[in-house]
Amino acid sequence: MSNFWLLNLGFVAGLLFIGIYCLLTMRNIIKLFIGIEVIAKGITLALIATGFDKNNIMISQSLAITFIVVEVSVVATALAIIINIYHHTKSLDIRKLTKLRG
Amino acid sequence: MHLVLLIGLVLFAVLAVFLRDLLKAAISLAVASVFLAIIFFRMGAPYVGVFEISVVAGLITVLFISTIALTRSEAEVKESRIPTIVFPIFFIAFIIIDIIIMKNLLGNIPALPGAPEAGGFGQILWNQRTFDLVGQIGIIFAGVFAVLALFRRRNNDE
Repeated sequence: MSNFWLLNLGFVAGLLFIGIYCLLTMRNIIKLFIGIEVIAKGITLALIATGFDKNNIMISQSLAITFIVVEVSVVATALAIIINIYHHTKSLDIRKLTKLRG
Repeated sequence: MHLVLLIGLVLFAVLAVFLRDLLKAAISLAVASVFLAIIFFRMGAPYVGVFEISVVAGLITVLFISTIALTRSEAEVKESRIPTIVFPIFFIAFIIIDIIIMKNLLGNIPALPGAPEAGGFGQILWNQRTFDLVGQIGIIFAGVFAVLALFRRRNNDE
């Protein structure tokens, strides 16, 4: 366990905190997705930093690439859903979604 | 130098979360991705760095900006100001708790058995992680079909 790893994981924890804070406090749906992206950046950094520390950088790279592909797919689907939500409610406010019926 | 890059990454992540203008927020997210990619290059992980720049900083930013452009008109959401004002207090408190706790917490995790790596990146990706690649292909198809299903025309229903 090196200090370099601890430094990186400290910043990872900071990124996760920023993302979760955004998810808890913001109301715009696109802002919520930006929060999810910030969390995803933290996860990628954690994977690579751990692989660098344990001398397994190649395996951690392949895991990180898999994670990035999953992330892109999730974001594309979610943004399509957001556009559909906007067409239905004419708003991006997350609180308006609770008033949907049927 | 590494510390500067990490601080830049966190700074642009904070900007992406708290900027009012969604377009500026998306661009801050892309800049944060570029910082992350430079960190990866310096750690000796060039393949992930390339993916981070081309896919996350490029493709996801394009997706965000096109979504923002498609939903722009009269859709301004009123955010309350309190979270933005309170954020530094929470963040500093979290960092202090983090510094106190994290070293002991990480020390308690048992180290995973790591075999020494044989071969280059391509060999490991294609030979050891073949099933991951199959899963990636499945996920890409799932995403494509989900977007197609969400944007199809509903002429027959009406």
